[in-house]
Amino acid sequence: MSWDPEALRGTPVNPDAAISVRGLTKRFGDFSAVDGIDVDVPRGQVFGFLGPNGSGKTTTIRMLTGTIAPQAGQALVLGEDVIRHPERAKRRIGYMSQKFALFEDLTVDENLRFYAGVYDLPPERFAAQRRYVLEMADLIGRENELTANLSVGWRQRLALGAATIHDPELLFLDEPTGGVDPVARRQFWDLLYDLASRGVTLFVTTHYMDEATHCNRLAFIYRGRLIAEGSPQQIRRDFISQRILEVSVGDPDAALQWLEQAEGVAEAYLSGASLHAVIGSGAQGRDELAPWLTGRMREAGFADVRAVEVDPTIEDVFVNLVSRQP
Amino acid sequence: MLLLPIMQLMLFAYAISFDVKNVATVIVDQDKTPASRSYVQAYDASDFFAVLGQADDVAAADRLFDRNQARIVVVIPAGFARQLAAGERAEVAVFLDGSEPNTARIGQAYSIALNRVYGSRLTFAWAETQGVDVTGLGQLEPRVRTWYNPEKRSSDFLIPGLLVVIIMIVTVQQTAVTLVRERDQGTQEQMSVSPLRQSELMLGKLLPWTLLAFVDMVVITVVGMTVFGVPLRGDVLVLALGAMAFVFSSLGLGLVISAIAPSVDVANITALLASFLPAFMLSGFAFALDSIPIVLQWISYLFPARYMVTISRGVFLKGAGFAELWPELLALGGYALVVLLIAAALYGRRR
Repeated sequence: MSWDPEALRGTPVNPDAAISVRGLTKRFGDFSAVDGIDVDVPRGQVFGFLGPNGSGKTTTIRMLTGTIAPQAGQALVLGEDVIRHPERAKRRIGYMSQKFALFEDLTVDENLRFYAGVYDLPPERFAAQRRYVLEMADLIGRENELTANLSVGWRQRLALGAATIHDPELLFLDEPTGGVDPVARRQFWDLLYDLASRGVTLFVTTHYMDEATHCNRLAFIYRGRLIAEGSPQQIRRDFISQRILEVSVGDPDAALQWLEQAEGVAEAYLSGASLHAVIGSGAQGRDELAPWLTGRMREAGFADVRAVEVDPTIEDVFVNLVSRQP
Repeated sequence: MLLLPIMQLMLFAYAISFDVKNVATVIVDQDKTPASRSYVQAYDASDFFAVLGQADDVAAADRLFDRNQARIVVVIPAGFARQLAAGERAEVAVFLDGSEPNTARIGQAYSIALNRVYGSRLTFAWAETQGVDVTGLGQLEPRVRTWYNPEKRSSDFLIPGLLVVIIMIVTVQQTAVTLVRERDQGTQEQMSVSPLRQSELMLGKLLPWTLLAFVDMVVITVVGMTVFGVPLRGDVLVLALGAMAFVFSSLGLGLVISAIAPSVDVANITALLASFLPAFMLSGFAFALDSIPIVLQWISYLFPARYMVTISRGVFLKGAGFAELWPELLALGGYALVVLLIAAALYGRRR
């Protein structure tokens, strides 16, 4: 394994990184929401911050945006110490949450004007930004529509526009695609790529593992600790040495039960409509993994089973990593 | 936002009336003489008493009380005319239905007054028959006077108090709810990420409602004076200063509620409890503060309404100014300061 969770520990914070964090810790009573994380986010990247619900993603973002104060650790955002001077980076960062943070009783235009006012944009810059946002969000001609009447996809794009009205260098996105349909999610990621191509650093949290492949770099957080960090390719290469079979079968529930007990299968779980079986170390050396497993499953009564060997997905990596945690 | 206070004013001012009229009255005339009949006529002539009829005895009157058909029973015992004629003290029994304390209290006052007036008239009549110069008996004429509101019009008492109740409801309710809603829709968090300072946010929250409250106040004052004919006798500056401190106090109370309330519903109910009830019950608006239980009197100090009702009535009706109202102004100013500091602390905490 090439990733060393302690590699950054004790090193000085890096002022050239978009975000540089050392030993960042936030406790609520006895509960450690974020437990001493060390990470550097290079500028100009799409950085995915992945983890299940309640793993500390939002708490980390709130510390980095200066909304809450940590108990321990250091945090530089765009070179500014956000713990001691949370206000210094605020004009240069943007933030968008799953809630979209729009005033529902205001129109599209009024929302944009409000946020432009909050960031004190001069009129000519607002005019330019407004045009860009309306175009980007596909809201031209709907400027006077009440925000409450927009469908989720449009609201989401408007929220992105409002969050970037001041042209931030770094944009935090906390579960920005939650509750949005797959097509709108796809479109939204296109918008994020567009922002990234203009040099904006994106710090995105999500629990959709398929979105992880959209990122230049990933960090996995689990129970407040980082358990992996690197590019998607690195992570796939470094963290999974096991081979994986994708199993399609008519009765996935029964098959899952069988696979969990089966010899040579280290782990099995649902992945989309099919099952993923992680092959245990004992059987790893076999050449013909798929026929070997399908044969045994047919004997066990799963007549319609089909299996094919697949490259591990980010989800596979994550399940694998979590299963290794104490 | 402007229509609501006017509607509330009209509704409350017309619906709530402490003027008591046409109280069901039953007479038990055991004397049955011309003198007793003319006495009964005195009741009949009054607006307050509505003489529904006669009952045969006190037991019958008791049944009428039980069935809520009578509130007042006047018993004229046998011998009434004879006692009057002899120049003795004639005694009349007046029974009041105490289950409606307000009516009973006023009924008592009215019947005492009526009897005194009637009695003095009788005395005049008796004196004349005796050839006594009545002008020298000036003390016989009872002087019943109500200060500040000689016509006893309840709108004069009501509107200066209603001003306080309405402003309190509008301000507390609005601030309490808008902030919780902002937390719900995520805009509050968005603001905390923005470069806006805590103080700027608070000011932005307070300013529109302060303005609105002042416009409401002016409207209520104007409507009260024109439509209801309420006098404005005192120092308008004191009223304005008191109003400012009162509005800030109420807004602060709303902010505190919204900082604590977990949801819009809870904020709504809490705001109602903290605004409507104290403004209505514990401010002296509906009930005189020294006649409510001592514990409630203590509680009343915790809400800004009681100070403002005193200021409002003082300025409108009593023609009061700084000299009389400085303790209330000071109390309200202090209240506003403390409650806004608490609100700021609750908002400023970085969790």
